[in-house]
This record gives sequence, structure tokens and C-alpha cells, in this order.
Amino acid sequence: MGWRQFKAMVRKDVVSELRTRETVVSMFLFVVLAMIVFHYAFTVSGGGRLSFYTGGMLWVVFVFGALLGLNRSFAHEKDDGCLDGLLLCPVDRMTIYLAKMTANLIFLGAIQVVAVPVFALFFASGRIATHLPAFLALVVLADLGIAALGTLLATITMNTRSRDLLLPIVFLPLVIPLLIAAASGTSALLSGAAGAPSVLGRLAFLLVYDGVFLVLAYGTYDVAIGE
Amino acid sequence: MAGAGRAAGNHGGGPASEPAGGARSERAGDAPERAGDAAAPEICVEGLGKAFGRRDVLRDVSFTVARGGFLTLFGPNGAGKTTTLRLLATLLKPSSGSVTVAGHDLRGDPAPVRRAIGFISHDPLLYRDLTAHENLRFYADMYGVADAERRIADLLERVELSHRRHDVVATFSKGMQQRLAIARALLHEPRVLLLDEPHSGLDPHAVDLLDGLLGDIRAEHTFVMATHSLRQGLGLADQVLILDGGKVVFAHGGGMAEAEFAATYRAQVREGALV
Repeated sequence: MGWRQFKAMVRKDVVSELRTRETVVSMFLFVVLAMIVFHYAFTVSGGGRLSFYTGGMLWVVFVFGALLGLNRSFAHEKDDGCLDGLLLCPVDRMTIYLAKMTANLIFLGAIQVVAVPVFALFFASGRIATHLPAFLALVVLADLGIAALGTLLATITMNTRSRDLLLPIVFLPLVIPLLIAAASGTSALLSGAAGAPSVLGRLAFLLVYDGVFLVLAYGTYDVAIGE
Repeated sequence: MAGAGRAAGNHGGGPASEPAGGARSERAGDAPERAGDAAAPEICVEGLGKAFGRRDVLRDVSFTVARGGFLTLFGPNGAGKTTTLRLLATLLKPSSGSVTVAGHDLRGDPAPVRRAIGFISHDPLLYRDLTAHENLRFYADMYGVADAERRIADLLERVELSHRRHDVVATFSKGMQQRLAIARALLHEPRVLLLDEPHSGLDPHAVDLLDGLLGDIRAEHTFVMATHSLRQGLGLADQVLILDGGKVVFAHGGGMAEAEFAATYRAQVREGALV
């Protein structure tokens, strides 16, 4: 992998985003508004067993929020006609994938830095701080899986006429295993109902999930981004 | 006529190695340096074909371009000009035939081919939200250009955009974007420049500026340009091809008068006209 090229691509995406704020602002607004909606919907109907569902709520919001960003991840290349410029460069296609995935990770992480405290305020006051290392490990591995899968699928769907519709259709079924592991792991941490072994099992599953899609991207990205 | 096209364009001994007298005299100072290189063509295309699904868009196209040569591709819309350029640029994969650019086989190892080419199209391939300097810096890093800041400063000076280096490209006129696109394409000092209708959408003043720039760099690179413009296409070329229906229907070593070439074009091409 060309480190200089990798850095250039990530820096280009981040600078573009800082200048336009198209992706992060829409992701941030969606995530915070969805949490507010969940807060009122579930507290009105009784919050007695709420901690059982909080992990699911959190990751549903993050997965759909990430989709907004993934849909935009190749927007500059497509809208500005720059995909040809990128493909003309003597750069390994896997480097393009890793740079795009890293940019998506940065945007998702930036949202979570703000969204997790909002989530803690509404649904899990004090409980996240108690299990912070395990929670962070879950977030990092789940984010990596979302970005690894999402970047690959965003690349495949970017040349289709209905890419905004097609990406969720192919992404959501494939992200369900990750969603189950991340949501159940988070709920277990927040409810205190499960011990360390069950959380470790979910972390191991997420690690394997991430590895599978990174290897898949390694094997297919040249074709995915090709003609 | 396709046969005539092949006969003229297939082998280095045709138009590629014997550019027209006019073009040769313009580059007289380069002649001794290039004499040895002319034996090995910079671009060698043999039996090139491309199909999208069942539709053949390019069939059995062959030509060579000598180092320092300038080949212009003419033809109506859909003739296969852009497909030919995109194949040379490694943006498409050939369905049949072989392509060698700067001594590298396009199928076997596209990375050296990508290093050897610069591509200029009617689309400037620039990020609108980045400044002129940020765009060039991005591409300089992508091509691994050494001493990138000096090279960027030189090129911005050359395309007369130094004063706009920190402005985002979205604020540039079409002509300025095209000049910046030339700087982008020249950043890594490519041996071959591929130009896909670079004058498209430009006003007359911008066309003159672009022609001046191309004239300045004419001696430094090997060119393949697709165009509908008779004046721009014949002006710099020492070799011309007419494509129609994905095939070469006419090839010539250049040096034809505009009126003569226009008449030939009308005779060879089923529909469409030059401007």
C-alpha cells in the first residue's frame, strides 16, 4: 500500500467534508433526532425494562446514520467526475478502498463522539462509564465492520442509476449479524446481566466479521471499482 | 477503406515514423534527439477490440504513434474515439487485441502505463470543493511526484493560475478549469498525453489559450487527441485517423489541407460533420 497515496485520499475526503459539511451534518442530525424520538417513544410506554433494548436502539441508529454517510462516500468522485482521475493514478485499488474506508470510519467516529454522550444522557446514565473499555472495543470493532462492508458495497452500487436505494437494500441484510453482536453486547454491558465471557464472545465474532469483509474486499475490489 | 486504414496505421513504417513535413519542420530542433527513438513506437495498438455486452464498439483497430508524434482521431459521435482513449488510459479493459504504451503492455501491468500517461478530457477531473493548489497537491501525492510544491508552483505559473491557487475550483470558469486540468495532467511529467475533446464547451478565447498551451508542450510529449474540430485536430497532428462504427476507415500521415481532409471525411463517414 502506498502510504503517501493513502494519506492524500483520506486528507482529501476530510478537507472536502470540513468545507462542505454535507455528510457529517446530515449523519449527526439523523442520529441525535432518532435518539430523541426513541427517548420519547419508549419512556412514554414505560421504561422499566428499557435497558434490555438500549443496545439495539443505539446500533439501529448508528447503522442507519452510517448509511447516510456511505451513500455520500463516492459522491465527490461521481458528481465532480473525478472517479476517472482517481482510477488513472498508479495506485493499488486496495489503497483506494482502505482510504475510503478510513474516511468513512472517521466520519462515523466523529458522530459517535457526540452521539454516545447524548445516548448516555437519555438511556444509560453512568452505566457506559462503568464499562467504558469494553464498550469502546465494541464500538471500534462494529464501526470497522460497518465501514468495511459499507465501503465495498458503496463502491459496487455507485455506478448504478438508483444507488441511493440499492445500497440500503444490499447493505442492511449483510449487516444484521454485526447488528446482533453489537446490540446484544451493548445491552449486556449496560444491563449488567452478562459476564465478561459473553461480551468477549461478541467481540471475537465482530473481529471475524471485520476480517471476512476485509478479505472479501481485498479479493474483489479491483473488479468492484473497475470498468 | 478500413483495409487502407490498417495498411497505413499498422506499422511503424507508415505515418507514425514519417510525420508530415509541416509537423516535422515545426519540431526541427528535436529531430536529432528523436531519430533513435522513432524506431520503437511510443504507442502500439494491434487488433484492438472492445465490446460492451454483445455490442462491439471497437473492432480490429490498429495504429502506432512514434515518440513525440501527434495522432488525431476524428469521427462522428459513437465512432469509438473516446473508447479508444479510455482503453489507452487503462480506464477500460480491451476485449481483444494488444496495446503497448511507453513499452509497457496494458493488460499485463497497467501501473507503469498509468505513470506514463496524462489524460485531459472535456471533464477536468478536479474536485470542485478543493482549491487549485489542493487539487494539484492531491494528484502530486497520488503520482508520487518528487519536490511537489516546486512542480505545482511551476505548473500554476505556466497555466497562468498562480493568482488563483488558493481559490476553490467551483469558482473557476470552464476555461480556467481546463487550464488547471492541463496542469494536473502534466504534474507527473507523463510521456504520453491523451486528450479527449479538450476544446469542448470552451469559448473562443479559452480555445486560443488552450491551443497556445498545447503548442508550448507539443515538443515534450507524445499525443493522441480525439476531436471534432478540423482546425485544432489538423493543426498540431502529424498523423490522423478517421474512425466510424468502431473501425478505422481512413489513416494518413498528416499534412493534408483542411479542405482536402474535410472532403475525405465526408466521403468516409456515414453521418456527422466536422466543425
